[in-house]
Amino acid sequence: MKKYIPFIIMLLLPIILQAQNVTIRAVNQPAATVFRSIVEQTGMNFVYSSELLKDMKVSVNVKDKSLKQTLSEIFKGPDIEYRIKGKNVILTRRQPKKKEDKKVAKRQNVTLYPSSITVPKMLEEVVVVSRLEAPAVETAEIGAKKLTAQEIINTPVMFGESDVIKALQMQPGISEGQEGLAGMNVHGGNADENLCMLDNVPLYQVNHFAGLFSAFNAEAIRYIDFFKSSIPAKYDGRLSSYLDVRTKNGNPDGHHGSAKLGLTSGSFNIDGPIGRRTTYSVALRRSWFDVLSIPMLAIINSSSDDEKIRFRYAFMDLNAKVTHRFSNNATAFASVYFGNDVLRTGSSDKEQPQTGWYDDDKADFNWGNLVAQTGLNYKFKPEMSAEFTAAYTRYFSGMTHDWLSKETTGENTVESHSVTKTRNNINDWIFRADFDWRPGETNRVRFGGGYTLHSFLPARTNRNYTVGTTQIVTRDSTWTYTANEANAYIEDDWRISDRFRANAGLHLSLFNIDGKTNYGIAPRLSLSYRPNEHWAVKAAYARTNQYVHQLSQTYLSLPTDQWVPITGKFRPQNADKVSLGVYWQSENRMFAASVEGYYKIMRNLVDYRDEYYLQPPTEMWNAQLCSGKGTARGVDFKVEKQFGKLTGHIAYSLAWSDRTFPDKNNGLTFPARFDNRHTINILVNWNINKKVRLNAAWTGHSGNRFTLLPQVWDAPEFGNSYTGDESPLKTRINNYQLPFYHRLDLSCTVRNKRGYWTFSLFNAYCHMNTVAIRRTYTNSNCPVFQKVKLLPIIPSISYTWQF
Amino acid sequence: MAILRYILSILAATLLTGCYEDFSPEIDTKPVLCLNSLITAGEPIEVKVSHTWMFNDEKGKSNHEVTDASITILANERIVGSDYLPKEGDKIRIMTESPTYGSAMAEVTVPYATPIGKVKFTPVVTNIWKGDEDFFHYQMLADITFNLNIEMDVNDSAGTDNYYQFGYNWFSESGDDDSYGELSASRPPSLSIGTFEYNAEPIFKEHVGVFETVMGNGEDTDFVFFTDRQFPGRTYTLHLNFTNNTFNIKNETYDESLLECGMTLYLTTVSESYYKWAVYKWNVDEGITGDLSDIGLAESKWGYSNVSTGAGVVAAQSSAKYTIDLKEFLERTINQSNTIR
Repeated sequence: MKKYIPFIIMLLLPIILQAQNVTIRAVNQPAATVFRSIVEQTGMNFVYSSELLKDMKVSVNVKDKSLKQTLSEIFKGPDIEYRIKGKNVILTRRQPKKKEDKKVAKRQNVTLYPSSITVPKMLEEVVVVSRLEAPAVETAEIGAKKLTAQEIINTPVMFGESDVIKALQMQPGISEGQEGLAGMNVHGGNADENLCMLDNVPLYQVNHFAGLFSAFNAEAIRYIDFFKSSIPAKYDGRLSSYLDVRTKNGNPDGHHGSAKLGLTSGSFNIDGPIGRRTTYSVALRRSWFDVLSIPMLAIINSSSDDEKIRFRYAFMDLNAKVTHRFSNNATAFASVYFGNDVLRTGSSDKEQPQTGWYDDDKADFNWGNLVAQTGLNYKFKPEMSAEFTAAYTRYFSGMTHDWLSKETTGENTVESHSVTKTRNNINDWIFRADFDWRPGETNRVRFGGGYTLHSFLPARTNRNYTVGTTQIVTRDSTWTYTANEANAYIEDDWRISDRFRANAGLHLSLFNIDGKTNYGIAPRLSLSYRPNEHWAVKAAYARTNQYVHQLSQTYLSLPTDQWVPITGKFRPQNADKVSLGVYWQSENRMFAASVEGYYKIMRNLVDYRDEYYLQPPTEMWNAQLCSGKGTARGVDFKVEKQFGKLTGHIAYSLAWSDRTFPDKNNGLTFPARFDNRHTINILVNWNINKKVRLNAAWTGHSGNRFTLLPQVWDAPEFGNSYTGDESPLKTRINNYQLPFYHRLDLSCTVRNKRGYWTFSLFNAYCHMNTVAIRRTYTNSNCPVFQKVKLLPIIPSISYTWQF
Repeated sequence: MAILRYILSILAATLLTGCYEDFSPEIDTKPVLCLNSLITAGEPIEVKVSHTWMFNDEKGKSNHEVTDASITILANERIVGSDYLPKEGDKIRIMTESPTYGSAMAEVTVPYATPIGKVKFTPVVTNIWKGDEDFFHYQMLADITFNLNIEMDVNDSAGTDNYYQFGYNWFSESGDDDSYGELSASRPPSLSIGTFEYNAEPIFKEHVGVFETVMGNGEDTDFVFFTDRQFPGRTYTLHLNFTNNTFNIKNETYDESLLECGMTLYLTTVSESYYKWAVYKWNVDEGITGDLSDIGLAESKWGYSNVSTGAGVVAAQSSAKYTIDLKEFLERTINQSNTIR
């Protein structure tokens, strides 16, 4: 561990030395362009009505000025005023004095020097904003984080594919799981205990390509709110964390967009107005793997005389959104998300011989998510607004294996044809209403409810086998489960005094399936005490419930993973979590630091039992499962530099996580697979100048746990093909800790007039980390243990053209 | 293009850098006793005692015998001697103790054989060929290719969980499949059973899960174990298809006794331990999760064992058999085809 300390200090040093000043020169530029530059330099967000800046042009010339000085320059005029709240610059129309009304009305085009803005008539409207706008010391929540699209893009990742999940993996308390994949194990929880919501609608499949890429196209994201300790009462349904992803609305100022071409995928997004009141936003991303593989396969196949290999993989996702403003008080939107992976593999003999065998083996996989929704944001009165959502979401996973074989002897041909189809679907109809009420200056009440009609089809397999004139058709007994889920919640964010703040809430849920109704009562409480402006001490308690879970026989994210409901002897999973945190921020909010401790008990966890594969799958799918409990505890430290040319954070987590299942490990408690005792994440974003930005992310953690089977025994000789060799001796689960894991990812963004280049290096110093231990034999047939190392340095490049 | 070549060579070098590194894990573990035995009703019990060893210990692999172990066998809670022959339904416990490696124990009940029920077989000729002389100047009088569809009833007994293994062999006057290699060149076997179409009987795939199925790992297999979970206490008809079977006669070897041939079908009721051992072996040898376990992408799989130490398998079995006589079919075919005068 000690050997990494100088390296960590080296990475962190520039953060400490930098200041949050702005340099910008613009002449009659669109306001959005100028603000984007300020956002990049300061990390601040701009919050404003979309109509406020319509057609607004800005001229400004400042060098190394503070944010306040810069904003004062820009908003010298009488039309718009700004205020800084937390990480946000909130822009509103300055209310003119009555005497000046006529003058203001005439002043439609005012030019000021050195800063100038041209303001059209404006209308206020309801806009959904993050609930985590304020700095951590000002809120009651513990373990909450807002990520902007820029922060996601600034996190260097493999193949240069910006990734929400991988950006979150840099936060303390989150384990990345399997190397290189978009896994997320929050505070000792399992990967299926995180609820990802896209514009208020749950998404089941949150990644592409075995977890290598996330399902969220960063270009389509406006922001995400992430909660891992204090869970607002609005959210329930998963044990560990909640990820509320909000997509971009179209830009009312004009048509803008970008096109990106990378090594693995390309994307295109465009947004803009449709008339005065309507905007659109479309983002499309598609991988290139198949385009690259086609010529490679053609070469391979042409060099092979007898066999033809078949392989094609592609993923795509589409986000499309139309937003219409009916009035100042009502805005509606309709959106579609479609994410899809397609994998086709197989091989076939090139020609059918006169005599002998002919094989044609094909496997097709198709899986993904569809979300179609419509929503209405309505402001009943200034202190009361609501969001109504109606949505349909479909998770689908289809797999077909088609095997044709022919054996020809003389004039006789025997043909065997086997087709196996497996389907795993979830269809949800969702209706929900969320209200936001501010009865006074000190209270903010959020309440609402929803209903979801679930339809689950755990993997159903049909087999069709034909040999000669014999045909056998079988279908397993899996049936569709229909479930009704209803929930209601209320929470009050109460600023009791300048020093005390509380967020108390309750989430009630019921889940009806198979004639059985499960109830969930989930109280939530967060308390904050601020002894002064810079410090806050917080405590929180949250109970969470989970009614669906994911079954996975591998550590990859595959279409064979099944989302299944809690049925039969299994009871809903629930967790109780208490957290305590201390927060600090510097006077100018440049720096922030936090320490958060937690203790979590998870009950009714579901997992495959030991030797589950010895149970015939024709048993009900849940016969292979068992139920148990888990605990997790730890402390997360984080120091952050929030603004300036150089931003970033250093995070350290000390954590323990274990599991106890009566049907696993002889009932003894064992460490969770991602029981990483120490985790350090360092993220540095350095805006060298207007054109060049460097991002670096270093992660290091105690190795994952692994079940190493050191001893073997003489296998029985039973006189058939299922005999012989040695067999590994059973041992305790996760009995071995893999070596310390560490990796540095780098990326560099170079802007030009039309767009920017992104160069990135995954695992920059090529430290191939151990992901497993295997038993094997050397060439001289000596038995050896070997460390399995997967990912070397992976460079990538992409170009994004902006218009 | 120089830069491209440079980039490609860097890429190749990094991607092909050693992905495996030999090492010896420091892990606290000590050897234990291993017991292996397959008990067959009516046959003497043979027990093999050994000890476990570290996988990377070459000496352990070649020498893991235990010389100081004592073995005790109990049948129905009574100690029995080496002359004991187990019967169906006997509950057998094997205990062994070694001053060096400690003790081990396993228990198994000899299952009752399940009599084979009704058997219906349908041979279908697909080709008859009468050829010229071969290399040794023997004239091929008849070369019959036929498929054989067999429907065999398994009458499962109620009240117990039964595990089955299907087996077969064939015989002819000139020899059977077990002694094929020992036959003289002048008298090769006249009957040969071709391909057993495992896919034709879905119950042979009941151990194959969704993941294995879609990966194609359930297709090209010869797994013949199954359970009564889908037909407890009822009758199930096995669909057994044998294709490309051949029967041939050469002028030098022909006499009517060659037509005395057929197949023997075996229905072996096996203990749960035997079935689970077979399923385990299938998973690690043929299943995709076995491969993924090896590279850390799936949970490690240890060997199934019903021995107290976790090493070894003590199993039991009882068999029933049924013979199919193909003489009549062959006679009829030869007469109809008029190949032999």
